[in-house]
Amino acid sequence: MSLIRLVNVTKKFGDITALDHVDLSIEDGEYVCVLGQTGAGKTTLLRVIAGLVEPDEGEIYIEGRLVNGIPPEERNAVYMFQQFALFPHMNVWQNVSFGPVIKDWDNETVEKVSSNILEMVRLADRKDAFPNELSGGMQQRVALARGIASGARILLLDEPLGALDARLRVDLRSQLRKLVKDQKLTAIHVTHDQEEALMIAERVAVLRKGRIEQMGSPREVYSRPQSIFVASFVGGANFIEGNISKVYSSGSSIEIRGGYQISVSDRSKEVGEKVVVAVRPEDISVGSAEVIGSNNFSGRIESKMFIGGSMEYTIRLENDDVVSCKISLSDLPTTYKTGERVIVSFLAERCYVFPYPKGGLLEEIEAI
Amino acid sequence: MPEVRLVNVSKRYGKILANDNVNLTIENGEYVSIIGPSGCGKTTLIKIIAGIIKPDEGKIYIGGKLVNDLSTEDRGIGYVFQNIALFPHMTVWDNITYGPRVRGLSPEETRPLALEMLEMIRLSARSDAYPSELSGGTQQKTAVARALISRSELLLLDEPLGALDVKVRGELRHELRRLVKDLKLTALHVTHDQEEAMSISDRVVVMKKGRIVEADAPIELYTRPRSIFTANFVGEANFLKGIVTQISDEGSLVDVVDGLQMMTNSRNAKVGDGVVIAFRPEFTSIGDTEMLNRLVGKVVDILYSGSIGRVRVQLANGDQIVAKKALSLQRPTFSVGDNITVNVSPKNTLVYPYPKEGLDKELALE
Amino acid sequence: MLLRLRRSIDFSKSVVWVTLGAFVVFVLLPTFYLISYVFLRWNEVRVEVFANPIIGDENWKQILKVLFFSFRLSLSTVAFDLVFGIPLAYVLARKSFHGKSLLEDIVTLPLVIPTSGFGFATLITWTTVAGIGGFLGLGSGLIPLNTVIPIIEVPFVLFIVHVALTFPYIVRTIETKFRSIDITFEIASRTLGASSLTTFRNILSPLSVPGIFSGSVLAFARSLGETGATLIVSGVSTTASVAIVRWTSEFKLATASFMGSLLVIIAWVIILPAELYVGRGARSFSIPYRMPRSLSNTLMKFERFASRRATYIKDFVPLIVVAATVVVPIVVVLNSVIVYWSTDPYTGKVEGGVLYQLFGPSNYFNSVLRATSTSIIVALVSTYIAMCIAIPLAFIIERKRYGGFIRSILKVPLIIPTSSLGLSVLLLWGSSGFNVVGSGIWLIVLTHTVFSVPVIVESIIAAYEGSEIQMYEDSARTLGATAYNAIETVSLPLIKGGILTGFVLSFTHSLGETGATFIVMGRDITVPALVVNMVEALAIPAALFTSTYLIVLSLILLAIIRIITRS
Repeated sequence: MSLIRLVNVTKKFGDITALDHVDLSIEDGEYVCVLGQTGAGKTTLLRVIAGLVEPDEGEIYIEGRLVNGIPPEERNAVYMFQQFALFPHMNVWQNVSFGPVIKDWDNETVEKVSSNILEMVRLADRKDAFPNELSGGMQQRVALARGIASGARILLLDEPLGALDARLRVDLRSQLRKLVKDQKLTAIHVTHDQEEALMIAERVAVLRKGRIEQMGSPREVYSRPQSIFVASFVGGANFIEGNISKVYSSGSSIEIRGGYQISVSDRSKEVGEKVVVAVRPEDISVGSAEVIGSNNFSGRIESKMFIGGSMEYTIRLENDDVVSCKISLSDLPTTYKTGERVIVSFLAERCYVFPYPKGGLLEEIEAI
Repeated sequence: MPEVRLVNVSKRYGKILANDNVNLTIENGEYVSIIGPSGCGKTTLIKIIAGIIKPDEGKIYIGGKLVNDLSTEDRGIGYVFQNIALFPHMTVWDNITYGPRVRGLSPEETRPLALEMLEMIRLSARSDAYPSELSGGTQQKTAVARALISRSELLLLDEPLGALDVKVRGELRHELRRLVKDLKLTALHVTHDQEEAMSISDRVVVMKKGRIVEADAPIELYTRPRSIFTANFVGEANFLKGIVTQISDEGSLVDVVDGLQMMTNSRNAKVGDGVVIAFRPEFTSIGDTEMLNRLVGKVVDILYSGSIGRVRVQLANGDQIVAKKALSLQRPTFSVGDNITVNVSPKNTLVYPYPKEGLDKELALE
Repeated sequence: MLLRLRRSIDFSKSVVWVTLGAFVVFVLLPTFYLISYVFLRWNEVRVEVFANPIIGDENWKQILKVLFFSFRLSLSTVAFDLVFGIPLAYVLARKSFHGKSLLEDIVTLPLVIPTSGFGFATLITWTTVAGIGGFLGLGSGLIPLNTVIPIIEVPFVLFIVHVALTFPYIVRTIETKFRSIDITFEIASRTLGASSLTTFRNILSPLSVPGIFSGSVLAFARSLGETGATLIVSGVSTTASVAIVRWTSEFKLATASFMGSLLVIIAWVIILPAELYVGRGARSFSIPYRMPRSLSNTLMKFERFASRRATYIKDFVPLIVVAATVVVPIVVVLNSVIVYWSTDPYTGKVEGGVLYQLFGPSNYFNSVLRATSTSIIVALVSTYIAMCIAIPLAFIIERKRYGGFIRSILKVPLIIPTSSLGLSVLLLWGSSGFNVVGSGIWLIVLTHTVFSVPVIVESIIAAYEGSEIQMYEDSARTLGATAYNAIETVSLPLIKGGILTGFVLSFTHSLGETGATFIVMGRDITVPALVVNMVEALAIPAALFTSTYLIVLSLILLAIIRIITRS
């Protein structure tokens, strides 16, 4: 039996539908990330599970029990805000022991639980400090400690790393996950950072306009995206429009602008169908010679960017389509210069093929 | 002639020295980023250049002219804010044409400029929209257009992408650089996101506690950082403490832990010196029995992000290191609990003297 | 330790109902009873006002004359306030400088100062030798009491008093509005090349219109309803609220109630649409008129010049206004007490000295003591009752959908003429109505409760909205606290500054309240009412002493607020 179950949950705020008939199951001990852009409905999802807002339709089950209408304090799920929400008039110790104290546990247990957890987050020596004396990273640890000390089984994390500097976030990701796992808690972590979600979650739910577009392990969502939106949002991709020209036993051929052909291993479409081919930047290699067995196109480097230890080249192909490729510095024998002619290669198996979206491609990838 | 020159600029808030004798030169046409942890003084610095804050000491030159006594509106700059600050009671068009209007330009002169700007940011269809009707990324694009329309030579950006979603940030980075370069402007961009700064700039300035620590081109800063702080702040790095045991023509041998030695190609230290060896997770390989520098340890965990795996390995002496590898579609050849060998080529190692105040303090990000 | 109330849902529902009930009975009913009284006794009223057997519709004509005079007075007051108040609000909202908190306190002072004492202070400042006249060596007052300002045809001293008493409403409301507008908008405008004056015109003003509008409405209504000080300085003129007091004492109850109802309805009619406009999130207001370019360019050139050279004008001129209207009278009155202490300095007569009047045959000191105890009892009791209603009411306002509506209604008791309020309470709870209590101390308590509740509620709401209480409460709830626990352990501590401030403000206000008290007090006299009596009995030195005593008390209490908010 799942620990948390949402059935057909809908919530509207005036004209805006924040949650649109959402079904979701989360098992005991899972670390789930809900990934989506601002306004997709992530915070509403958490608030509905926490009991801070009631859904318009649908049921929510926690630990097998229907919790619609049950107040937050009885749901065993603690909500953690992006801004931490540490009570400013209480010091670290009082904040952390708030849950046990308010639930009337006996003094000994309160003492034990609170000290243990403060030890775990390495803040035992700051227990008399007030929140405004602590750095962002420390406040986040206190907020976590407070949530865990309350004895809740479920942690609802609303962009827990969002208020922290980018570089700090990277370090804290693994610490966060470790803490949750060691305590054998269930976590629902909401974020708009797909790299964070992929790294930290056991399962990822991609939320778009109040609906779950795809849910699965990070590997699945990354390597088998079921829609253009997911392919674009999770991991990023190059999109090339074309029409299916041939279907054969090991794949298909797609004719793109300029009469060029791309070979893909997908065989599910019909000849003549208008499609979009997606290739991830890290699956594209750049070189001076053709690579046997791949799709090869010649092109010219239009611009380059150094991002996170990799070079990202934007290349204009001979048919005027533009692709970007990402190569780790360590794999790059030389750096190419802007304007240089190169050969762009990618394997047929690394292409995803989607039917051309009715509303247009730009609309689907929600380009700004 | 340099576009911006700061000479001995200092600013104090009570006991805190936000800017400590800062000297900085930015050339015409450069895109420079200033990065550093929160509180390092980068925001104070950019506000001093803009005239929003007055420095306690120092001189500021823009385009060769001393601007210390000039108020903000007379400095000829464009400014982009973290919280966007589009005038909520004006449409996109009115926002963009605000600058020309208050400078006395006629509607006939302003119109073509505004149309061109809207074209450049691909927002021609929405010139009648109000800010509240636009998405965050679109709002910020509009704000950038508003700042650029007067063609001020200097564009100042104060955490311009901070309020936006990660995905939008990634898209806007390209836009920002393209706009600045196409218009041949000089840009100074402040951010706490080192990845953003590295991808977008010609030069990156690293600040810590009110001072400039290092400044260099992104790739240089990444591959050859001159301090431990920079090595840790710009990208990720592994740090191992050790003592130099031998120096030769090719480099030095460092005793990292009993029995484990590493070869580096640095020759800066003396035998017996305490040092810190740094290497980046991307510049490692796994399982190579031939390559020098074989670090053996147990896999503690593996985190995936897309096609990259981050493998955390615990060495015999308790230190943990991270290796980053592009993993193939098939299952990797090792799992948590296995013993593996991590290789680091000597040319990918960086050696620093052991910091006086200890390694942890030097690595502190806040 | 802490009670863990299991049936928290039922508990909170009953608290809501009780609070709303108390609110209706103690605050709303008295505010509007006057109107229903007029309705119920329409025939009586109609006869006395319109078809009086002796004087025909003379009473109605009187009402109109008085009303128009009041309107003229109040409109000119607000106009003056705006001209000098907006720059001051800007300085307070945006600048920091030494002595800023002192300035803020001086600006706030008229809100809580005893109006009769203040009226008296202003009176002697401008019209007697103890004031500016004597200071300049004129040997008499600077101007006669009934000097009229040309064009607007409004008495000078009356005008000055109204400006002083309404100025804080405008300044504070607009200052709060300015503060709420992110300063980044102004900085952005400056980086785009606009001078600070141009920025003010193009950016800050349109975004602040709701605040300016709401402040003006409040100030107008306050002026319309001002009684205490007006009683002292009005001289031969009569404002609407003064008329109510006069007619009540002449037992022309029907006319008084009719006038009172009119004023309540007017206050209601101007406040409600203003609140709706502001409340519906009206974020800005732009005149669709585009100035011709030559005019706008010239204007901007001027603004650029003024921004650079003349900013100090906006900094100093409002200060002069504040000093002249508020600081000077207080200084004068304090000074006069000392000067007049033992003898009248001009005649040398001991009988004209303060000491003589207090301890001599008239023995005013005794009256002062008795009045003081009455005032303090009233202030304490009414404030306590008001707190019991106001604290839960503040939470209701913040949480319920109809909260905004209640908050708007709460502004009405603050601005209807205090004399109307007094009359209303008298008719409701007194012998002519439900006969719950006779005139006297309990009736005063009931009256003071009516305006104390809004004062405390506004204080609490200011503290509530300044901190992100909802977020902390939500946190506490998911950590296991019931709604009641969360309020007790998290919300209340976070707003305790607001509660304390509200307490002190309400206490001080009650101490100094004159207009309503005058009507309901019967034989139990409070200190401010005593001042009025003394002035009418021409016991000037005694009035001097009592006013000073009241003002000093208020100043001390305000200083206490400052200490609370700073900690």
